[in-house]
Amino acid sequence: MKRKITSPRQAYLYTLLSLLLGIAVYLVIVALSGGDPLNVAVNIAKSFISPSIVKDFFILTAIGCALLISFRAALWNIGGEGQFYMAMLPGVFLTLFAFNPQYSQAPPPLVVLLAITLGSVMGALWALLAALFRAYLGVDETPVTLVLNYIAYYTINYLVYGPLKGRYTYGYLRTDEIPEVYRLNIRVHTTPRGTPLEAGLQHLIVQLAYYIALLVLAVLIYVFTWWFFKYSRLGLYIKIHGSNPGYLQAQGVNTKHVSLLAMAISGALIGLTGSVYLLTELGRIPYELERQTAGYGYLAVLVAWLSLLDLKMIPISAYVVSSLRNAGIAVQVAGLGGVEQTYLLIGSILLTYSVMRFLADYEVRVAWK
Amino acid sequence: MRSVSSESPGAYRSEERDVVLSARNISKSFPGGVVALDGVSLDLYAGEILALLGENGSGKSTLVKILYGVYVPDAGEIYLKERGGLRRVNINSPIDAMSRGIVMVSQIPQLVDKLTITENISLTLASLRLHGVKIYTSTSRIAKIIEREFEKIGVKIDPNERVYNLTYTQKQLVEILRAIIVNARVLLIDEALTYLPLLEKQRFYQVLTTLKREGRSVVLVTHKISEAVEISDRIAVLRAGKLVGVVNTRETTPDYVRAVMFGEERVKVVDRGVVQSTRVFSDVRVLIRDLYVEDDYGREAVRGVNLAVHAGEVVGIAGVTGNGQRELLEAVVGLREIKSGEVYVDGINVKRAGIRGVRELGVGFVPDRLLEQGVSLEESIVENIAVAIAKRGLSIPWRLIEKLSSDLVNAFQIVVPGVKTPIKHLSGGNLLKVVIARELENAKRAFVAYNPTRTLDEVSAIHVRRRIREKATNEGVAVLLASEDLDEILVISDTVYVMNSGRLYGPLSPQTPREEIEKLMVM
Repeated sequence: MKRKITSPRQAYLYTLLSLLLGIAVYLVIVALSGGDPLNVAVNIAKSFISPSIVKDFFILTAIGCALLISFRAALWNIGGEGQFYMAMLPGVFLTLFAFNPQYSQAPPPLVVLLAITLGSVMGALWALLAALFRAYLGVDETPVTLVLNYIAYYTINYLVYGPLKGRYTYGYLRTDEIPEVYRLNIRVHTTPRGTPLEAGLQHLIVQLAYYIALLVLAVLIYVFTWWFFKYSRLGLYIKIHGSNPGYLQAQGVNTKHVSLLAMAISGALIGLTGSVYLLTELGRIPYELERQTAGYGYLAVLVAWLSLLDLKMIPISAYVVSSLRNAGIAVQVAGLGGVEQTYLLIGSILLTYSVMRFLADYEVRVAWK
Repeated sequence: MRSVSSESPGAYRSEERDVVLSARNISKSFPGGVVALDGVSLDLYAGEILALLGENGSGKSTLVKILYGVYVPDAGEIYLKERGGLRRVNINSPIDAMSRGIVMVSQIPQLVDKLTITENISLTLASLRLHGVKIYTSTSRIAKIIEREFEKIGVKIDPNERVYNLTYTQKQLVEILRAIIVNARVLLIDEALTYLPLLEKQRFYQVLTTLKREGRSVVLVTHKISEAVEISDRIAVLRAGKLVGVVNTRETTPDYVRAVMFGEERVKVVDRGVVQSTRVFSDVRVLIRDLYVEDDYGREAVRGVNLAVHAGEVVGIAGVTGNGQRELLEAVVGLREIKSGEVYVDGINVKRAGIRGVRELGVGFVPDRLLEQGVSLEESIVENIAVAIAKRGLSIPWRLIEKLSSDLVNAFQIVVPGVKTPIKHLSGGNLLKVVIARELENAKRAFVAYNPTRTLDEVSAIHVRRRIREKATNEGVAVLLASEDLDEILVISDTVYVMNSGRLYGPLSPQTPREEIEKLMVM
């Protein structure tokens, strides 16, 4: 039986509780499998104050906002991964082939602008594909976006193995490194020293400078999303598409168009983030993408859910999720387990979150005949 | 004349009648500062029909929803006669209320359309069993019991009939039957009978009288004074969340009840009535030719309808709910597929233009399914209005829309803390007023509406009817409205039609004797 209204404060409390419970569940699993839960817990705690989370924080804030746009329309875009990586193809093509500085005189800012513009278009098209299936064939967008992630992975793998294969990769199978002139990082050369706090601050500055493009991007996307839902007509249509599309239809609004636009904008923003990520951090596309990916497209789904689709909460949940991702890595680095530790940790949290939400929304009664 | 004053609503206890249910000092407010109930105390006796009367937003629906476990009160207690004495109870959910013998019959029948009557009732019984009530659930036995009980109250319906094949009245009867089968001691009837034609209403009154004789109690929620006076033993009047009077029906008059309900100053509005138009019409604005439309289940709902509505004319369609009115109006505005025939609004072919083209012409539409098509509950009043008004441009001119929204809220006396209140916090009447206000604002060429005053109290209804009338007379807008309230049709229309089983009968003059029209409604 569906329960009555819960206040926003209660909802946030549930989220926080599920987070803590999820970590607890993970620690229990660690203990049961013979690990040292205390050591792991210390590593998790540390990652919440580690400067190395800034990159993830920016990316997850950006994609979290982008997903919000489709989620608010009740379109469950699980295809962030595909949109993120497909958007890198124009960037690779433009910087390594069409305008390779070895034989092109094109002004780098223009090439970069073109790369991220086409990247956004690519992301939008990839998302639009799922939206078209839904709008005109009635196919649920969740499995379609999910499947499109794999199509994206394998398409890119094929290209990297074939036409995009790098020539200067020391025998590794990947694309060439994107030329320095097209990279968006600012490198500050300093060795952190002083007290742990001072050293931490210096580390943070180095990280912020290096990822400045991602910072600017996250801020821009955040402000855009805020404006979009507060002032734009389409933003209002999208919100109502999520709560009562029947009303929208009765007002003569074409709900199919609204759903296509919601997905396209969501995909475009993810594509934008993907192409900036390529020019900032990644620098090349590796082979067997599905084994190498950081999974931002999936992690951002977690970010959007944990925020309860509230824009104010996106940065907070992006911070929490990036800390957890880094905790997973820290646990691996400390020799406490492999890559499965990250999945286990995030999986435990998703599990407790789902269970808590279910218990919050429904009254459960066990019955038998 | 008055048995009990507002200061001592509990004085009935001195008569030592058999109280089955007692609400004491019930208060409830909603987020955003809407106070729905303020310290209401009320007793219900065994074997009586108590009418709960009040204008829109007076709190009557909130009170019955608290008794039925839909809402939890902020303060106050509920006592129920159990095991020989009055005991304090917490009613947590409708199924909890049902297991204690309190059953609601609501305005919109709570039945699963695709299941049969027997299956629907089995579903209720199975839920009760899960709730710990010892009850039979074998379908063959239930079918027999249904037949027996139907016979007792003089109704002939096959228990294996699917619910979507039933008329509205039959669905209400099934709900009452369900209450009898789960052995309800208290029936809460929320505006369910208000718009039935006289004949069917009288049949219901007989059923209720039978229930009363068996010692069951009925709370009849209504905003119609005539209904309260016709059937009840006592009338309790709520105003702005407070109980302002309880009277014995036999000892009171409708005028006195009206004064208690609205307060002296608002009663004056009632007398003026609605202005009738005396113009001759020439310009055809809405033209329907040999129209066929299907309902949600693919059955023919509109059968060969021909109709013309002129600029400045009000055409009213009378009829019992479920006779194709909804489908007809939806097809006229382009929301429902036209199977065959033609509809033109302002010379534009609706089949080609679709809802979008029709809306762009300036057509206001008040749908039957308000919650599905009339509003978005999660959004605020101003956001709901913005969708309908701001149709162009990248951004929404919020300042303008907010100004318009507060003007509409004032003009239609919508009771809300502010225009940014989410629609879900509004009472049924105020929600309807938001829709009417917005759609009248939209109506530049035509106004199409179903039951435009369904949940409104007498004074608000007159106000709304006058607005609709003015829209036609002063601005030359063509008005096509269907209503289950025959009085409304007669008072507002220039031309009257009756819709029955998908066919349209008419045109008739609004001066046609009532009985003749009612005959067409139920033949």
